[in-house]
Amino acid sequence: MGIPIPEFDRFLFAFTIACHILLVSVSIGLGIMLAACEFLRARYGGPTYAALARKLVRPFVVSFGVGTASGIVMAVELVNLFPTFMKLVSETGVIAVFYVEIFAFFLETIFLVVYVYYGHTFRGKYSRWYLTLPIVAGTLLSAVLITMVNAWMNTPNGFDFAVYRATGSVTGVNPWAPFLTTSTGYEVMHVVSAVPLTGLMLIGGYFALRYLRGTDPAERELFLKGLRIAVSVGLVLVVLAVLSGVLEIESLYKYQPLKYAAIELNPNPGTNLPVTLFGSLSGLTVVGGLQLPGLQSVFTQHAMLPGLSQYPQSEWPPLIIHDTFDVMVLGAVLVGLFLFGFAALWLTGRKPFDHRLGAYGFGLVAVLMAVVMELGWATDEIGRQPWIVYNVLTVNNAANTSSALLVPGLAIVVFYLVLVPTTLWFMVRVFNGRSLELDSSAKEGGTDVNY
Amino acid sequence: MSITDWPFYINFAIFSVFLTLFISELMGGILLLLFYDASKKKVLPYIVPIWEVTGTFAAFWVVTADFAYPALIPAVAALFPAAIIVFLIFLVVRNSSISFAEYIITRRWVNEKRLYQAYGVATLLIALVVLLVLSSIVGGAGVNLSPIAFNFGAWLTDPATLPYLVGVVIIAVGLAPVFYDLEAFRRLTLPLTVVGVLVEIGALAMISRTFLAWPLVLASLLTVAAAALYQSRRTAPIVTNKVVLGVLSVVIVFSLNYLVYPTAFVHADHGPLTVNSVTTTGPMVGAFDALSVAGGIIVGGLMLLYMVAAYRKDSSAGGGAASSPATSAPVKGP
Repeated sequence: MGIPIPEFDRFLFAFTIACHILLVSVSIGLGIMLAACEFLRARYGGPTYAALARKLVRPFVVSFGVGTASGIVMAVELVNLFPTFMKLVSETGVIAVFYVEIFAFFLETIFLVVYVYYGHTFRGKYSRWYLTLPIVAGTLLSAVLITMVNAWMNTPNGFDFAVYRATGSVTGVNPWAPFLTTSTGYEVMHVVSAVPLTGLMLIGGYFALRYLRGTDPAERELFLKGLRIAVSVGLVLVVLAVLSGVLEIESLYKYQPLKYAAIELNPNPGTNLPVTLFGSLSGLTVVGGLQLPGLQSVFTQHAMLPGLSQYPQSEWPPLIIHDTFDVMVLGAVLVGLFLFGFAALWLTGRKPFDHRLGAYGFGLVAVLMAVVMELGWATDEIGRQPWIVYNVLTVNNAANTSSALLVPGLAIVVFYLVLVPTTLWFMVRVFNGRSLELDSSAKEGGTDVNY
Repeated sequence: MSITDWPFYINFAIFSVFLTLFISELMGGILLLLFYDASKKKVLPYIVPIWEVTGTFAAFWVVTADFAYPALIPAVAALFPAAIIVFLIFLVVRNSSISFAEYIITRRWVNEKRLYQAYGVATLLIALVVLLVLSSIVGGAGVNLSPIAFNFGAWLTDPATLPYLVGVVIIAVGLAPVFYDLEAFRRLTLPLTVVGVLVEIGALAMISRTFLAWPLVLASLLTVAAAALYQSRRTAPIVTNKVVLGVLSVVIVFSLNYLVYPTAFVHADHGPLTVNSVTTTGPMVGAFDALSVAGGIIVGGLMLLYMVAAYRKDSSAGGGAASSPATSAPVKGP
C-alpha cells in the first residue's frame, strides 16, 4: 500500500502550524504584558513591576527564539511541502506580503535585542517602555501580515484565475492587490484579537494558580499585578474577538458561502434557518444536535442563506468543521463570561483569585482559550478543503509527492512533540529562575543573561 | 547591469550579509565546541546579542529568494526535500539551545556550557547542510535538472565536493581566532587560512576552470590579508574590529556572485541553469525593487540603531568599544 504523500504533507504542515501558533500566542501575550509592566513601572515606580518585567523578559526571549525558528520552519516547509502553491505565491503579489512581514520581523528582533541586552543603558524614565512598543508592534504586524496571506488563500485576487486554471500560467498580476482582499479586514481583526487573548489567558492562568498557592505576600502581589494586566487587556480583546467573529461569519456568507453552509450544517438553502449545535448529516437531513430556530438570520441579517446542496459534494469540506466551530464559539462565550464575571467581582471589591474555584477556574479557562484558538484555525483551514487557494488550486495539485519527505517529516513531528512541552516547561523555569528578592533588588544596569 | 539583473543582485547582497553573520556564528560555535573555557569570554558577548539578527537575515534571504526565483521553487523542493527538513530541525535546535543557555540555572547535567556547545553543534550541522546545497547549486554535483532529482551518492563522490567542504571549514577555523581576537591561536591563523584558501581554489578549479577569475583572486587575497594583518600587534586591531572584518566578509562573499550568475548548476545533468530564466518578471520586478529599497532603508536604520546601542553599552561600561558585537577588544559579561 502506497503512502499518500499529499495527505502526509497536509498533516505535517497542520501539525507544525498548530504548534507554532501556540508558541506565538504566548510570545505575543508576553510582549504585551512586558510593555504594560514597563509602562506601569515608569508611571508608578516601585519594585514589583520592575521585578515582573525582569521575570517576563526571560521566557519572552526563549519563546522568541523557538517561535522565530518555528516560523522559519513553516516558511520553508511551504516551499518543501507545497511547491506549486509557493510558486503561485511567488508569481503573484502574495510574496510581497511575505516580504513586508520580514520588515516587521526585523522591527521586533532589533528592538528586542536592544531592550534585552542594551536596554539598561537607556536612562530616561520611559525609555525602556518606548523600547518595548516596537517589539509589540512588530509581533502584531507579523500576525497581521501572515493573516493577510491566509485571507488571500480564502479569497484570492491579483491575477487572472481563469487563465491559471486553464494553463497554469500566471497573468494579469497586480502585485499590491493581495494586501487587501475581500476578507482581509475581517480575518485580521479576528486573529489580532484572539491570538494575543490566548497568550494573555495562558499567562494569566499560570499567575492565578501561583497567586493562590503563594505564601510570600510580595510574591502574591507580583502575581496579582500580573493578573490585573491580563484581565484588563483580556477584557478588551475578548470583546473585539467576539465582534470580529460575528463579522467573520458575515464575510463567509458573502465570499465563501460553501464554507458558511458547512459550518452551519445547512443541508439546503433557505430562509429563517436555525442555528444547529452539533448534530450531523444523514443524506441531506440534519440528525441529532440542538436546533435554535431562526437564529442564523438574526446573526447574518440576510433572508436567504446558502446550503450544501447548492454545491457538488466533491467540493464540500469535511463537515467536522461544524463541530469544531460549535466548540470554538461555545468555548469563546465561556471565556468571555468568565472574564466579565471576574472583572465584575473584582470591581465590586471581592477577591475572586483568593478562592480555589476562581484560580483553578482561570487556569481551566486559559486552557480552553488555547483549544478555542486552535479550533478556530482548524475550522478556517479545514473549511477551505480541498482547496489550498480557494477555487484556484487544490492541495493535491500543490503538494510535493516526493517520498523523501517521509522520514525527515516524521522526525520533525517527534522533534516538535518534545520541543513544545520542553519550551513551555523551560519558560516557566526561567521565569522562576531567580528569587523575587533578587529580581526586585537588581540594579537597572546589566542583564541576567549567562555570558 | 540591466533592471532584470536587480533581483539577483539584491538577493545575493542579502545572502552575503546573512552568510557573513552565519559564518561569524559558525566560527564562534567551533571555538565553543573545542575551547569553551578559553574562548567563552570573547565569543559569547558577540554571539548572544547577534543570533536573533542572523536568524532574521536568514528569513530575509529565504523570502527574497522566493520572490526573485518563483520558477525555481518546485526544483528546490524536488532536489533537496530531506536536506531542507534536516536544516529546519537543526535551526530549531540552534535557537532553542542558545535561548535556553542564556537563562539556564544549572540543573544536574544540563548547564550553560552544554547548551552553548549544543548550539555550536547545531550551527556546525546547519553549515554542512547549507554547504551541501551551495556546492550543488554552484557545481551541480549529484543534480539532474530534467527530470529533477538529486543523487546524494553522486554528490558525495564528486571529486570537488570534499575539498569544497574542507576548504570552507579550514578557513572558518583559521579566521575564528582573528574574528574573536584569541591571541593564543595567533600563529595558527595565517597557515590555516592560506591552506583553506588554496584548497577552496582547488575545489572551484575542479568544478570549472572559468571560476579562476579575478574576483576569486581578490577574495582570496582579502581573506589571507585578514589573517596576515592579525600577525602584527600594530595591524591586528584593524581586523579584530568586527565591523571591519564583517564588511570585508560581505564584500568577499558578494564578489563571488559570478559562481552562480548568469548560470548555476554548472555540471548538472541537463544543466547548467540560466538564472534569468527562473527570475521573476513583469510587474513583480517593480514590486520587488520598490519593496527592497523601502525595506533596505528600514533594515539599515534598524541595524544602525543596533550598533549604536551596542556602542553605548560599551561606552557606559567604560570599556571603550570593548564588548560590542561590532568590535573586538577584550570583553566581560555583565
